[in-house]
Amino acid sequence: MKILVCLKQVPHQDARLDIDAAGTWIKEDNIKFEINSYDTYALEEALRIKDAGEAEVVVTSIGPDRVTQALRTALGMGADRAVHVKDAEIDGSDALGVAKVLAAVAKEESPDLVLMGLMSDDSNASAVGPMIAELMGVPNASSVMKVELADGKVTCERELEGGALEVVELQTPCVLAVQSGLNQVRYASLKGIMAAKKKPIDVKGAGDIGLSGQVGAGAAKTTIDKIYPPPKGEGAELIEGSTGEVVEKLVGKIKELGLL
Amino acid sequence: MGSILIVAEVQNGSIREASYELASFAQKLGREVHSLVIGSGVAGEAEAFAKKGGGTVHLVDAEAAANYNVDVYAAAIKAAVAATSPDAVLISNTPTGWDVAPRIAAAQDCGFVSDAFDVAEEGGSLVFKRRVFNGKLDAQITASGPVVATMQPGGTAPFEGTTDGSVSALEADLSGAKSAFVEVKVAEAKGVDLSKAEIIVSGGRGVGEPEKFPEVIQPLADALGGAMGASRPVVDAGWLPHEYQVGSSGQIVTPKLYIAAGISGAIQHLVGMKGSNFVIAINKDPDAPIFEVADVGVVADLFEVVPALTEAVSAAKG
Repeated sequence: MKILVCLKQVPHQDARLDIDAAGTWIKEDNIKFEINSYDTYALEEALRIKDAGEAEVVVTSIGPDRVTQALRTALGMGADRAVHVKDAEIDGSDALGVAKVLAAVAKEESPDLVLMGLMSDDSNASAVGPMIAELMGVPNASSVMKVELADGKVTCERELEGGALEVVELQTPCVLAVQSGLNQVRYASLKGIMAAKKKPIDVKGAGDIGLSGQVGAGAAKTTIDKIYPPPKGEGAELIEGSTGEVVEKLVGKIKELGLL
Repeated sequence: MGSILIVAEVQNGSIREASYELASFAQKLGREVHSLVIGSGVAGEAEAFAKKGGGTVHLVDAEAAANYNVDVYAAAIKAAVAATSPDAVLISNTPTGWDVAPRIAAAQDCGFVSDAFDVAEEGGSLVFKRRVFNGKLDAQITASGPVVATMQPGGTAPFEGTTDGSVSALEADLSGAKSAFVEVKVAEAKGVDLSKAEIIVSGGRGVGEPEKFPEVIQPLADALGGAMGASRPVVDAGWLPHEYQVGSSGQIVTPKLYIAAGISGAIQHLVGMKGSNFVIAINKDPDAPIFEVADVGVVADLFEVVPALTEAVSAAKG
């Protein structure tokens, strides 16, 4: 069993979001990055499958040098090796460009399972998983809350609205985009971090995976024109003052509602 | 100017409201509208959709489509795309939409936009608006050519007019699926039924630690005679069981008073509580999206305000 986990490194959830000079993304210098939270659940699920039997867990990520840190963290948690796709030519890719890169890595690795998060914490697109499946010609499931392997098949529970779950059976290989909360994600142990230093990170460019000239800003079919703070509506009536004053006003509001 | 293909979604035998919202978007753009209706025994629904914004409806009515299956749906949508050559395919951003829509974009090698809450035409291109960074920022995105887009349910009102539409059967090869539907497990009865609570006090990631829920959040809920709730990150982290979760994948609540403490207000949470009669939000971050839906906001440390409020409420009740 071989599992490929696709990780995205994203701005830390508490990072300051200042819009860049072009107005099309945030300023990424001087902020902290972390592994996309949804992807950590995918990695954890892969490591649990490995812990329960025989599996090789390969992690892959696209991005500049800083991505090495995310891959090292994943190796520290227990992944066996990493593929870092690093090439300025890929910058500015849209979701389909990213999916083409990851599908090319998957074709080279021939995994039984490709796992990733349902979406990323920065672009919130939920695009790449099913796209990789289409490019590979394999089935996929999104919003996965449970994974069971038996007899060369994968049985998943997909989260629907209102807490309902859809059970679906997939042939392998397949692509699973997992929902947050399907497991409790481990931390890298000190021993794991030390061991990770000896684990290989293979660095590849677009040409190495046969995609030179096919990805990047020039090939993108959608363009971000601008990003901006959401227009403010009327918003809340802000209550200010000392804690005592604030509480007094809140109690007044609750009394007005007839609830006190 | 190319046409628009709507992928209508059948749920429990009926075309869901979100599909009529797609009809609103499509009709607003003033282009030729086609729709795909896929399911089993849904000819009547297809007729209704054709008369209410769906335009020319292409019907795939097959036993194999009785339940959602990604391979079957992808095959049907690809057949509809081949038959209509649309400039845009609109699908609702639902568990079905996010499972199958990106596949169509990859198959067509075209643009993809997800979870857009608005679409308009500018200079011959479609321009979409959507949230990014979990609702903290908005993005405007232009598709330079054909595009597949998923639209946020509730992004516009369902189409209410009457249109001249027709229904015709569409041939689609639905065989060869590499995945199979097994069953839908409906949500289990909740130990905590928040849907009937008159007052809910919910905590989010800002509560910081699991112990703080019984120490800080529950006492305020108790003092008010209400129930405790939580946002998704709290449940994902294992701090509280899923039955406490308020949001699109948890419980949809409509209390008289909803107090959100340390909740930033991700869309999936707002969907679950926007029907509340009155919302008080307490958060340290003045830019938290929760303040946009709250009636009253307090920009402060919840650990100062909530215990003091608990004390004051208890005192007021005597």
